[in-house]
Amino acid sequence: MALVDRASVSAAQSSPSGIWIDKVPTYYWVIGLIMLFMPVIANDFWLFQVFGWTFILGMIALSLMFLAGYGGMVSLIQMSVAAVGGYMVAIFGTSGITDLSLGLPWWLYVPIAIIVAMIFGTIVGALAVRTEGIYTIMITLAIAAAFFYFARQNYHIFNGYTGFNLVVPPQLFGVDWRQPMPFYYLTLAFALLSYFVVVYVSRTPFGLALQGVRDNPRRMAALGFNVTAHRVLAYTFASVIAAVGGILLVWQNAQISPGTAGIPAVIDILVIAVIGGIRKPIGPFIGAFIYVLLRTFSPDVLTAFGMSGERFKTLIGLGFLVLVFFSPDGVLGLWERWQNRRKRDPLMGSGETPGDRDVGGRNV
Amino acid sequence: MSDTSVAERLSATGTASALELRGVSRYFGALAALEDITMTVEPGERRAVLGSNGAGKTTLFNCITGDFLPSSGSIRLFGEDVTVFPAHERIRRGLRRTYQISLLFGGLTVLDNIYLACRGVSRGRFSLIRPRRNDALVSAAEELCEAVHLISARDTLVSELSYGQQRQLEIALALAGAPRFILFDEPAAGLSPAERRELIDILTNLPEHMGYIIIEHDMDVALRVAESVTMMHNGRIFKEGKPAEIEEDPEVQELYLGGGH
Amino acid sequence: MRGFASRHPIWSLIIALAVAVLLWLIFTPWPPGLVEAIGRKRIFLNAIFGGITLGALYFLVASGFTLIFGLMRNVNLAHGSLYLLGGYLGFEVSERTGSWLLAFPVVFILVGLLGMLLQHQVFRRMEGEELRQTMVTIGLSVLIADILLWIWGGQSYTILSPDFLSGPAELPIISTVRSNGDIIYLKYPAVRIAILIAAIVIGFAMWLVLNRTSLGMLIRAGVDDREMLGASGIRTQYVFLIVFAFGAGLAGMAGIVGGTFQSLSPGEDTRFLLASLVVVIVGGMGSIPGAALGALIIGLSETLGLVYAPTYSVVFTFLIMAAVLAFRPQGLLGQTR
Repeated sequence: MALVDRASVSAAQSSPSGIWIDKVPTYYWVIGLIMLFMPVIANDFWLFQVFGWTFILGMIALSLMFLAGYGGMVSLIQMSVAAVGGYMVAIFGTSGITDLSLGLPWWLYVPIAIIVAMIFGTIVGALAVRTEGIYTIMITLAIAAAFFYFARQNYHIFNGYTGFNLVVPPQLFGVDWRQPMPFYYLTLAFALLSYFVVVYVSRTPFGLALQGVRDNPRRMAALGFNVTAHRVLAYTFASVIAAVGGILLVWQNAQISPGTAGIPAVIDILVIAVIGGIRKPIGPFIGAFIYVLLRTFSPDVLTAFGMSGERFKTLIGLGFLVLVFFSPDGVLGLWERWQNRRKRDPLMGSGETPGDRDVGGRNV
Repeated sequence: MSDTSVAERLSATGTASALELRGVSRYFGALAALEDITMTVEPGERRAVLGSNGAGKTTLFNCITGDFLPSSGSIRLFGEDVTVFPAHERIRRGLRRTYQISLLFGGLTVLDNIYLACRGVSRGRFSLIRPRRNDALVSAAEELCEAVHLISARDTLVSELSYGQQRQLEIALALAGAPRFILFDEPAAGLSPAERRELIDILTNLPEHMGYIIIEHDMDVALRVAESVTMMHNGRIFKEGKPAEIEEDPEVQELYLGGGH
Repeated sequence: MRGFASRHPIWSLIIALAVAVLLWLIFTPWPPGLVEAIGRKRIFLNAIFGGITLGALYFLVASGFTLIFGLMRNVNLAHGSLYLLGGYLGFEVSERTGSWLLAFPVVFILVGLLGMLLQHQVFRRMEGEELRQTMVTIGLSVLIADILLWIWGGQSYTILSPDFLSGPAELPIISTVRSNGDIIYLKYPAVRIAILIAAIVIGFAMWLVLNRTSLGMLIRAGVDDREMLGASGIRTQYVFLIVFAFGAGLAGMAGIVGGTFQSLSPGEDTRFLLASLVVVIVGGMGSIPGAALGALIIGLSETLGLVYAPTYSVVFTFLIMAAVLAFRPQGLLGQTR
């Protein structure tokens, strides 16, 4: 994965003839095929709980990765944006709370949910981009907390502490999308779509300019770019991905409550993105997979070792701590370092590659 | 964006000065970094700004490009009042600058850097469509890359370039689009004698309509690429004139040569 | 101050008016019309004083946070965990020894030592890397929160205030005038008054140390110019250790205070971390007077909101923060960088 972004572009420029299929590396095909035929080998629990959840959390963390990795803005609002999307589905669609839900058809409430989440994310972004670096983290964290408390106290729109239950996907094409296999393909499709959209956008003028803003906002302004507008639009773009993730999340749980966007959940998204690696779009999905595995199975493992299953937070906290202490680039960073060590010439001893180095004066 | 109509702006270009500063001052707290600067540079004119460290030269550039606003005074660019414009609006009107310390995009390749510079002054800055291979801006970027002798390094990450190459890229970024007026902030600093000659070559071969201001410590470079000279001292303009006059001025000599340079 | 008045005459007038109205509301008996409109004066006064006390608590927590950030640019998102840890430790000490006062020095030293450990083992290794600091301290706060939950469980604790501070104290402020002419003065829990006085004393002492001693000069020089501190031949790392220990110890002592007039339970750590964040965002990063002002504003808005618009009290706090960000991103008393 490491250098695909750059490699594919230079390949596209240096070899004018050649079909795009030739340029897709083999392991893409392998991973793709495994993903496609997963339902043959995995049981319902794995499909729905492990992979479904991985793809959803991965998408929400991907929206953070887009802002942090390309834009240099570590935003903790992404989970709240996702929750806004989820809430809107419950409010405009159908739920167990018939007094509050409007019961619109899916082709209305899904776009509405995405647009509302997009507006919310954009407004937060517009506030957050007035400051830089560490302030962004603090401000988005504070706004995320405000959203949580507001949703918990507001009974007229968000139904307070209880939230909404019985929020299920529409029975489109006669399929019950909450069945494990359909849900697996549904989340897989959207995860792939958002992944490739992010990869594609990173090489468009907008994506390049965003990376320019990350590396050097002052110079970007001196090249004629409106830095603030680029940053705010990055929030808008990331909000769409987060909103889709949020909608899928509410369908998976069939409910949404303030706790969905509580501070622990907000922090978890950051943990996921950082564990996986915040520089590449694949990182969040790796992080989400690790997180879901830990979350699902660590109670069993801990109990097996004679400890209380509730201590999985300690495990995650400790693992996260060790990882960020030794590899700020997450698992992907560790992987790259290991590969470099393998590639290193045993006689010459030098083998540092660009991926290993801190790229540019990142402003986070 | 501006109060002046397009027609006004077009007619203004023909007659107005490229750059006109009136009583520009800039204070940092109680410290006056610039005080009452009034200067006019004609289109196509090449001006050198000299002065010791802390004379306010870079602050002057920062005020002209809009990195920060002047505390008082007004700035006109090709006849248009740009005093309160944000930096990107001035750049879109044909102003360019280079930085003393290279301010580049370390995480992107050389070509991407130049491409961004070209994109910044054209439409489609927010485009979500990838550029094609035959995209006009990509070719423009490639041409510029070639012009500053960086074509062999076009796919290298900028953070891996040598110092001299970064300085070359710095100039390429300033030449992107259709610049009408460029501010060079110590382009020769840290260059080898051979690289200096190359730089003088690039500067003197710029198209005639392209005026610039150059800040330069190296008198040799400055006096060879400039037609007029402004001397600054303690945030004020101290002397203006032709290179030859300035060189022979006793006061300048005392200040400049006695000032430890 | 005079500079502000001459530069922003309109704002000064508005602030002066608001202060005058507030003072009038506090010190005069309310006319019946006003009581009908917004309720009894006692409720208003209680909200005001509750807000000031809460602000005092927020100040104790946030001043340590802002001091550490101001001097070292260290972002300690485990600051709330230090608060909660201090509270639990204080609870244990006062339960076992029966001395509420003894809990303060013990907690200050213990949590201060933990702070030193953090500075020495964690922050010193990642100086200037704000993102990594953030990540590591988030990891630490997750870890500490779970360990605290492990040891002290999910129930909530309240630290008993000592005898000499329990019960109400009478303030020289008129609450109501009875129809028979009796004047009722406002009664208020003595322990809260003690907290308020302690916060003012600590805040003033910090201000004195920062502005009148050579250590304070050093610290302020460090805030303005890190290189100057290094060039002055001072062992920068010692100054950093002391400041970090002090900030952490302050958060720990605030935990005792919070445990006495509110309660301690899991989740309070995030609550106070967030409160500190909002306070320093509103007041201005790295500024002690800013922390005091921000804490006062947030404390007042929270309690007044709870009394007069319970559903939207959080929204008030948030709106204040958003307004500050929109019009003065560096915070009310923050420096422009």
